Amino acid sequence: MSIDKDKDFNDNLVFSHKLFSLSRVWAIALNTFTQLVRMKVFYFMLIFSVLIIGANFLFLNFTFEQELKILKDVSFGAMTLFASIFSIVGTALLIPKDIEDRTLYTILTKPVPRFEYLVGKLIGIILLVAVSLVLMSFLFFAVLYFRQHGILAEEIKMVRGGATDAQKEFLKETIFAQGVRPELIIGVLAVFLKAAVAAGVALVVSTFASSTLFTIIVSLVVYFIGHAQSLALDYYFPDGQMHGALQRFIAGIVAVVFPNLQMFNIFDGIITGQSISASLMFRLIGLTGFYLAIYSMVSWILFAKKEL
Amino acid sequence: MIAEEIIPAVQINNLTKIFPVPFRKEKVVAVDNLSLNVEAGEVYGLIGPNGSGKSTTMKVLLGLISATSGSSAVFGLSSSETASRGSVGFLPENPYFYKYLTGAETLSFYGKLCGLSRRKIKERTSELLSLVDLENARDRRLGGYSKGMLQRIGLAQALVGDPRLVVLDEPTAGVDPAGSRKIRDLVIELKQRGISVILSSHLLEQVQEVCDRVGIIFEGKLVKEGRLEELIEIENQTEIILEDADPKILEQINNLVRVSEETKLLRSGKPKTTLERLFLKETGAESEDVKKDA
Repeated sequence: MSIDKDKDFNDNLVFSHKLFSLSRVWAIALNTFTQLVRMKVFYFMLIFSVLIIGANFLFLNFTFEQELKILKDVSFGAMTLFASIFSIVGTALLIPKDIEDRTLYTILTKPVPRFEYLVGKLIGIILLVAVSLVLMSFLFFAVLYFRQHGILAEEIKMVRGGATDAQKEFLKETIFAQGVRPELIIGVLAVFLKAAVAAGVALVVSTFASSTLFTIIVSLVVYFIGHAQSLALDYYFPDGQMHGALQRFIAGIVAVVFPNLQMFNIFDGIITGQSISASLMFRLIGLTGFYLAIYSMVSWILFAKKEL
Repeated sequence: MIAEEIIPAVQINNLTKIFPVPFRKEKVVAVDNLSLNVEAGEVYGLIGPNGSGKSTTMKVLLGLISATSGSSAVFGLSSSETASRGSVGFLPENPYFYKYLTGAETLSFYGKLCGLSRRKIKERTSELLSLVDLENARDRRLGGYSKGMLQRIGLAQALVGDPRLVVLDEPTAGVDPAGSRKIRDLVIELKQRGISVILSSHLLEQVQEVCDRVGIIFEGKLVKEGRLEELIEIENQTEIILEDADPKILEQINNLVRVSEETKLLRSGKPKTTLERLFLKETGAESEDVKKDA
């Protein structure tokens, strides 16, 4: 091959090589998702089913409001737990394992920029969290739906002399107000957003961590501190009074390193029947996007020059 | 075609790689001012003892780590550019792939990373599974593959992007003799297709069988490099190969040698060393017997 021919070939190679390719990112994301699915992670659905079906039978002596509230509490608690575990453990398991097993060598020696690898992994894990939340939500809503109808039938039966239409309507309204409502979907979305931020944290940690265990521990520490972050900032800066640029800088760094995860815990209000404003949801979505963008960039900076 | 017109498959110039030792002032020099070229279509054997810097050199070439100083390029493109990997296939030592994927899914995944179209991926998958003799295991998950099968699927993934350069790091490590021979045959086939190959192996006989040129690396330095036939030549000996030699002529030669003060006839036949002896000599690990023979 002559030098001109080689130069043409290389020019074509550089030209045809996209700096960022969605198809490559999607290939990595889908592979991550497939890998986790085939690791049989969806067996957790059995545990989730036992939890929420069990919650129906454990508290039989409570009022129907309490019973439905406990069912929603248990379901949202379990969804938050599973989603957060998937996002942290999934990220911590996969990236350090790729490095340890040298599978990463075979990926990065293809024309794949390191940023695409990180984003692909993150999307794959977020996809798994999303699918698992959809499955859990279906089960949760189905159990709640059947339970609210069951309670309604029991309550109507308990009315002495038979319930009138007005009484039936009243009972239906009261019971169904604690049952399946569109606000629950918003609660599930908030659980998803929190898990996505947790995955972002684990992504950053996994780029400099030397092991899976280290990544899980550090990510969990950040996760728990993230729930107390707003309390700490309120304590040190009461009424949001930050004097000087240094305090604001420190508060900013703390807010980035330890994301305010307490903000995502809106399902407590949803369970008790509070309405959630659209602006709060947009704020949470925006905040998640901001954190994921920051964490992806930091991960890339740490990973770009990592000696593999 | 003249040599100057060709861009080498690999150009490594004065490459040095130094690793800092955590919490200590000292540093480890893994590669020390190493320069080598691999021509297009050539099979180059990089040999050296464990820890001599072979894998580090390959990693710099493939952009997995950066050079402390010096440069490396693949077909004229710097190793630091992601695009340079567009013409390379790599099989690392003892590779692990995603054991939850089947053989066909593995090749499809790597094909997507190389930017191949769906149709092309399908074609390449069938072609490569046939090449590495894994057609019967195409739908079996890699978790159930033997060591030799993993090496072969590894070789197939290295070839999926239709590379012009293939880098093989210990491709026969832990593979039985039959599997090892199969991989050797594949390297010969790549050579016949005009694909450049860098091969690092401890199995020196195998290197001798397939490589055009060899570089011996020791303590980070390239201590010997050249065409295989030239390297295994014994410099202070001369071989005269005669066909149908008349005993009288042989006697005359012997007489000439006998009257000479400096020349000695050591033995008649074909004096040669083996690549293994050369390797041991160059890395300072040879026994006294080998020193005398070499």
